[in-house]
Amino acid sequence: MGWLDEVRRSVASRLRRNDEVELDEEIRHHIELETEEYVRRGLSRGEARRRAIAAFGRVEDVKDDVRDVRPAARLLGDAAHDARVALRSLRNQPGFVLAVLLTLGIGIAGNVAMFGVLEVSVFRSLPYPDADRLVLGRVTYEGEIGRTISGPDFFDYRDGNSTLAGFSAITPFEVQATVSGGELPERILAPMVSTGFFSTLGVDIRVGRGFLPEEGEPGGGDVVILSHGYWQRRYAGDPGVVGSSIVIDGTPYAIVGVVQPGFRLITDADAWRPIRRGEGWAEARQFHNFIAVGRLAPGVDIHAARADLDILSARLAAAYPDSNEDKGIALTPLGEALSEGYRSQLMVLGAAVALLLLVACANVAGLLVVRGAARRAEMAIRSVMGAGSGRLARQLLTENGLLALGSVAVGIALAVWLQRGVLALLRIDGVSPAQAGLSPVALAVALGLGGLTTILFGAAPALRVARSEPAFDLRSGRRSSRGRATGRLQSAMVVLQVTLTTVLLIASGLLLRSFDRVSRVDPGFDTDALLTAEVTLPAGDYADVARRSVFYEELETRVAALPGVIDVGLVNRLPVRDGGGNVRVALPERWGEGGVFERIAYQRMVLPGYFEALGIPLLAGRDVSTTDERGGSTVMIISASLAEDLFTDSDPIGRTLGIDVGTDEPWLAEVIGVVGDVVPASLVEGAEHAMYFAYPQRSPASMRLAVRTVVDPAGVVQGIRDILLDLDRNVPLAGVAMMEDVLAASVADRRSLMTTLLAFSAVAVLLAAVGVYGLMAYQVSRRFHEIGVRMALGATVSSVARNVVRRGLLLAAMGVVIAVPISLLAGRLIRRMLFSVGAADPVTYAGVALFFLAVTACACVFPARRAARIDPVDAFRAE
Amino acid sequence: MARSDLLQGSLDLLILKTLDGESLHGWAISKRILLLSKDVLEVNQGSLYPALYRMRDRGLIASRPGVSDEGRRVKVYHLTAKGRKALERERQSWRRFSGAVEAILAS
Repeated sequence: MGWLDEVRRSVASRLRRNDEVELDEEIRHHIELETEEYVRRGLSRGEARRRAIAAFGRVEDVKDDVRDVRPAARLLGDAAHDARVALRSLRNQPGFVLAVLLTLGIGIAGNVAMFGVLEVSVFRSLPYPDADRLVLGRVTYEGEIGRTISGPDFFDYRDGNSTLAGFSAITPFEVQATVSGGELPERILAPMVSTGFFSTLGVDIRVGRGFLPEEGEPGGGDVVILSHGYWQRRYAGDPGVVGSSIVIDGTPYAIVGVVQPGFRLITDADAWRPIRRGEGWAEARQFHNFIAVGRLAPGVDIHAARADLDILSARLAAAYPDSNEDKGIALTPLGEALSEGYRSQLMVLGAAVALLLLVACANVAGLLVVRGAARRAEMAIRSVMGAGSGRLARQLLTENGLLALGSVAVGIALAVWLQRGVLALLRIDGVSPAQAGLSPVALAVALGLGGLTTILFGAAPALRVARSEPAFDLRSGRRSSRGRATGRLQSAMVVLQVTLTTVLLIASGLLLRSFDRVSRVDPGFDTDALLTAEVTLPAGDYADVARRSVFYEELETRVAALPGVIDVGLVNRLPVRDGGGNVRVALPERWGEGGVFERIAYQRMVLPGYFEALGIPLLAGRDVSTTDERGGSTVMIISASLAEDLFTDSDPIGRTLGIDVGTDEPWLAEVIGVVGDVVPASLVEGAEHAMYFAYPQRSPASMRLAVRTVVDPAGVVQGIRDILLDLDRNVPLAGVAMMEDVLAASVADRRSLMTTLLAFSAVAVLLAAVGVYGLMAYQVSRRFHEIGVRMALGATVSSVARNVVRRGLLLAAMGVVIAVPISLLAGRLIRRMLFSVGAADPVTYAGVALFFLAVTACACVFPARRAARIDPVDAFRAE
Repeated sequence: MARSDLLQGSLDLLILKTLDGESLHGWAISKRILLLSKDVLEVNQGSLYPALYRMRDRGLIASRPGVSDEGRRVKVYHLTAKGRKALERERQSWRRFSGAVEAILAS
């Protein structure tokens, strides 16, 4: 690159920053010597100097000529000169500079931070080899993507496809298990995976081996692979543990391997156990417990793989119409699928920061227009002194450029901090706030935004100067038509700010109202001072289910006797906290007909006293009792809505219902009671049908404790731990949480999105209010004389003040009106995040409009008071 | 005595010649040209400095901080190797040019 070096060398030689200074010095010296010469010839010193200067010619011309022969130097010289002048002029107005730096800085920071968040989340590269070849497989019902596929379906897809180099499955939720045999029992996360899981993902097995294919078949033996973290924690990284055994849920498992550090997919894990064909969670096609992850075979694209699996789905539907009709599988690129959950949130926030930046630009543009107007005389003088209009415009652009650079600096300083905050609020799966940081790309984005904002906020004022007519500007005073044009431009900027801010406010308002609605959802039980926890019996030790009943009844009795405990309830899954476990229930005589005779209901196993402990009203019939035992006639309690749906007006007590348990024939139970509805899974889904069974008749190993306390729950927790130790030292207490916290956590995403958006809106409102204030204050000062005249002619103080406020409100109203259609469009973006509030919710729209008009009115108060205090005499004197 | 303006393009040659063998500051260059031309050639100051900067950029001359006769700190110019070659070239081309003009005038 010879020519490049040439250019670089020549630029370097010209980049002598002192050239201008040296030239000045040289010329001054020249003139002095010339003066001395004239003095020697007998002229007076003054005359000599005059002659010397005259002989030299116009110094500026000479300098310009020097610059002319050296184009690069001229540009640099001018740039340096512009920058010096700009700095000097900015130094004189620290308030203005501060306002601009903060305004634009926040705007830029928000955008850079959001960019950074996107970078570490949506655009991150997944930590698996050739991750772009990985796809996620989820069930579809009539084309709608659901979540989990069933075990038998998984095995059929895996063995039948010809387009995937690997196809495996994992339980995508927290699968907890108890490890016993150590000092204390320990709860670990031990998801089930298919045997090819690690090889599909390309995970490195550090010690030992991966699962063998036969370990995924019935009778394959109990084997487990440990996570690197758990291996370090429990075995201090001892490679000798491979081959030894670990007792999980009462069953000894042989440790066969340890995976590479940091590996995780979808759910955290301490250990992985193989899914065995046709066993446990992979037993029936109705049980959807797995998410599939596949690797496209070389040369195969995702469309081909989809077509391949669609054929298999059709075959399955034909072979198993009961379970597989209308069912299919959707393949999505893994990265895309993993970011689905928060992508829409990030889009909303991204749009919000973009709006915020625009508001900031409009605000600064407004400031600059006013400043430009105030500086018109200065510019006119400089123009008369010989500065070309292009030069003047450039001068302004230089100032703006410096402001933008400063704002970029402020923005970058704030961005990391803001990014960390957003990451902490959003809690994106697999991304920690510690990952906040500015990549080179993000820095480039910051600089780019700086450039963009310079153009956005600076162009209009600069162009106006370039078009200015100095003679006119020098002559005319405050009342020039040009002033009116300034006002118009500034008004437009204010309207723009109001519009953008209103859009933001409406979005925040809709989310705020949604959040309020969600918070007001009645969960159907008393959430106050309710301690919840999880107790799981090792299935191996408690294979005899009668022992389970004894254990839990004993536990309930003893916990109820703890000091500070008002009431105790036991259930296998608590409302809101646990969810899951919903099945078909129908009138047995109409089994299989569907329609109005069939419903989906959450099934729960309870011990007597559960309803009372949670404050769920018993509306009819009786609670389960200790006499409802296994082997006796099966009894159930149903929720009010389920009773109403299936039995309409007739009395449900004593009637029989059939429950789907994955077999051809339903399981029959007699309704003995009706209780109030609760929210079984999530507040957003609301109350759902539920049915409750007596624990001894259906006895899951894992139960939840719900303890109503009066005193410090920490003491109660210790009490429960002691009781458990005493009952069976292999049974740990896990998942201790207050119900209020559980509720708050269940709406945390909603809350964080709303909070972030509200914060952005607050900044925007502040900026817009300042914009309105600035405009009205400027107009009052410009119309100083006119107002004076009007007051002299009898206008009252209040009418003058009202007039100012009215002008402000008019602009705000214009902005709000323009914002309405934009907001209706923007509402689509957040429609899915709304809850029982329409995207066009009139209350929100009206509320925001009123709020904004009130803000505007406040912003107008000071200018209005100033206008009202104008003394006509002063106004005339100023003339 | 009437003074002549410099012929376009000859200023560079004169500056090169003036700096051949000694380092001078700007004012001294113009005075030296006036002196050597026996007060005939007056360098227009407006041309001198642009010429100096242009020649420096082209690497024909270089400058360094120096001290004038009056003891002031000034910028003094001197010839570079490239400038010395240019002087030779310019001198020959000027001789050719002026010889040609002479030949025409003498005919």
